[in-house]
Amino acid sequence: MREVYVAGVGITTFGRLEYPLAEIAAYPAMMAMKDAGIADVEQVYVANMGGGRLSHQTGLASAVVDTLSLTPAGAETIENGPASGASAIKQGFLAVASGMYDVVLVTGAERMREVNNLDATDFIATLTHPSAEYIYGVTLPAHAAMFTRLYMERFGVTERHLAMVAVKNQNQALANEFAHLQQTITLEGILDSPEAMTNNPYVAEPLRFFDCCPVSDGGACLLLVSGDVMDRLERPRVRLAGVGQGTDSHVVAERPDPTELAAVRIAAERSMQMAECEPEDVDVAELHDAFTILEIAQSEEAGFFARGEGHLALEKGETALGGSLPINVSGGLKGRGHPVGATGIAQAHEIVTQLRHEAGRRQVEGAAIGFTCNFGGFGNNVVCLTFRREG
Amino acid sequence: MTVDLETILRPVDSALPPYPAKWVTLASGDEMVIRQVGRDDVPTLLEHVEPLIHVERDYYDIVAARVYAELLSFYRYRVQDEYVLVAQIDGELAAIVNGRQVRPGLGMSLHTLALRRGLRIGAHAFAAKMEYHIDILGHDEVLVVAESPIGFRRWMIEYRLEERFGTPHELGGVPSYALTRALFDRARDKLIVGRRPVPDELRERAETAILPPSDPPTPPIDLLAATRAEYDTTGTVLMMQRRIQEREVEHA
Amino acid sequence: MQRRIYGYRCRVCGTLHYPFRMRCKGCGNLEFFEFDPEPLPAAGTLVTFTHVHNLPAEYEVARLGLGVVELEDGTRVVGQLDIDHPTMGMPVTGGVEVVRREAYRDYWGFVFHAA
Repeated sequence: MREVYVAGVGITTFGRLEYPLAEIAAYPAMMAMKDAGIADVEQVYVANMGGGRLSHQTGLASAVVDTLSLTPAGAETIENGPASGASAIKQGFLAVASGMYDVVLVTGAERMREVNNLDATDFIATLTHPSAEYIYGVTLPAHAAMFTRLYMERFGVTERHLAMVAVKNQNQALANEFAHLQQTITLEGILDSPEAMTNNPYVAEPLRFFDCCPVSDGGACLLLVSGDVMDRLERPRVRLAGVGQGTDSHVVAERPDPTELAAVRIAAERSMQMAECEPEDVDVAELHDAFTILEIAQSEEAGFFARGEGHLALEKGETALGGSLPINVSGGLKGRGHPVGATGIAQAHEIVTQLRHEAGRRQVEGAAIGFTCNFGGFGNNVVCLTFRREG
Repeated sequence: MTVDLETILRPVDSALPPYPAKWVTLASGDEMVIRQVGRDDVPTLLEHVEPLIHVERDYYDIVAARVYAELLSFYRYRVQDEYVLVAQIDGELAAIVNGRQVRPGLGMSLHTLALRRGLRIGAHAFAAKMEYHIDILGHDEVLVVAESPIGFRRWMIEYRLEERFGTPHELGGVPSYALTRALFDRARDKLIVGRRPVPDELRERAETAILPPSDPPTPPIDLLAATRAEYDTTGTVLMMQRRIQEREVEHA
Repeated sequence: MQRRIYGYRCRVCGTLHYPFRMRCKGCGNLEFFEFDPEPLPAAGTLVTFTHVHNLPAEYEVARLGLGVVELEDGTRVVGQLDIDHPTMGMPVTGGVEVVRREAYRDYWGFVFHAA
């Protein structure tokens, strides 16, 4: 397998974008090509989950490759629920590593605010098992809530810890010009004050409004190239060093230990093994905090903290900017937003920006190894990526 | 002659007890004061509401247009027993809610207009309105309709409002729902939030002036801009659009 | 007629599946449909639960109780809860009732009550 480098990145503002879905995907692709100074792309992967259902556009990759005037390059849409982004990157990685292509464009986009909140919730709920989960009215927040209750009982995580993740990530997003949410929140406002119940009502007990990421539109892109192509460019060298994936049972209730996210553990292990690094070598991480509990749980499953100690590290400030392992300095899904197909690529965009030392106010000093975890369904399908800075 | 006509055209307001001001802490940590305002404050409010009539998204246009009309009719004494409550953060207008008494025992909720998003300000303001009707004005029930789907979900379904489909709501359109005292009592601990009295400094800042909102809802961005190749040097047109929206730069 | 929810027992190795799987997760045999349907037990323990406030459009209720129940035989299922104050570990018993109504169709599933 050849080595694979990230030559260019691009991202849109996340929030409400009233552009056609194909343009939301093409926009960051233009940015990435400009960034790298390369336009002869051989293959395009487009990550997207809701195109057909929300935007009435199927065959999205074909639309994107045309709007970018990249025809006759090959193009496919990659759908893996909320892990579509990292899965598309995995396909791009395989395409270059195999030697078949030298320049591959991986872009992701979602346009979710086109529909009202009820329809958006239902759309995400289609990830669940049709006869064993969906018909009961199970939604992703319901899964996360039931998981949270078990986590609280078993490890002593409290609503305060969840609120701390929310405050950390949403406020961190203020340093990210592309983030959806640009609004400070405080623990007093969302948890302690007498009015906290109105400010931060329950969505699915015990998860509250600010424990859940917003519904967003947005797009992000990576341009992946072979070593030879990278050698000819004047850009900082960031290598996609490790790709790992794991799957788990579709029905969440079936899993032997209901507090475990086995797919995260497996995907993280495989990714870091390929990249030849250990969890303690990672300098900066983007985890999938669609719900605040997931940041805590994933930080443990990925091996950064011992089982049941993720919330203790959070308390000590280890996971904030300046701590031993800053997590979600971009704001994460909570602050940056979660356009489902684009998220995995947006996470990678942040890590690449960090490793290039171009992250401005939210730069993690001397970042050399970065990690992302893109969580599909409720842990049914997880893809983790590890990036290394060279030179 | 004008004076004589006014006695025919102007309804006689009942002596309604005033709304005691209260304050809440928002998710952002900001303190918000909710208080009743009189006719003197309406001209200022009209200035702040008018721009929203041109924001054609999220039902701002229709709600703002109707609130404008209701404020004006309140000001010019053409509607009976109307009240107006405002929510202010640091003096800045954050929400306007209004309604009126139809007859003793029956209230009519008119509108809830939030000028800042993301902090559940509308929820606080609506609850304050219901508190006014049920607890202070002593209404047995309040008629409510929703113009937007979010409003419908939040009030009709969440509070289990009773159907009053036989009674048309003044806002026309769909038949009414009602918040009864029984329903209100059941949801009391969720609905009655906020603290009284308002600390002096906070109250003074709110009463001194109703300042224009610093981050009001704005019309949607130009759909054609992306295809018109208005690039800045970093190539982020959409970020540019956002900056234009936030009025940091003039149109390039 | 009493409605039941069915699991599927592999004829080769005896592993019980709920819901249906194409290929047995126990022995992995490649024969088609070598399963016997078997009604799941009704009694179990509540493992975890939630009350969902933000529901999809079809549910015209303020909030919905959902829970994961470990049935007597070890099978874990999701169901709606008709329990005022659920607690983790409490014994429950399940009936099969309408859990979702769409325009022309009712869906039947587990609804758990306090035992």
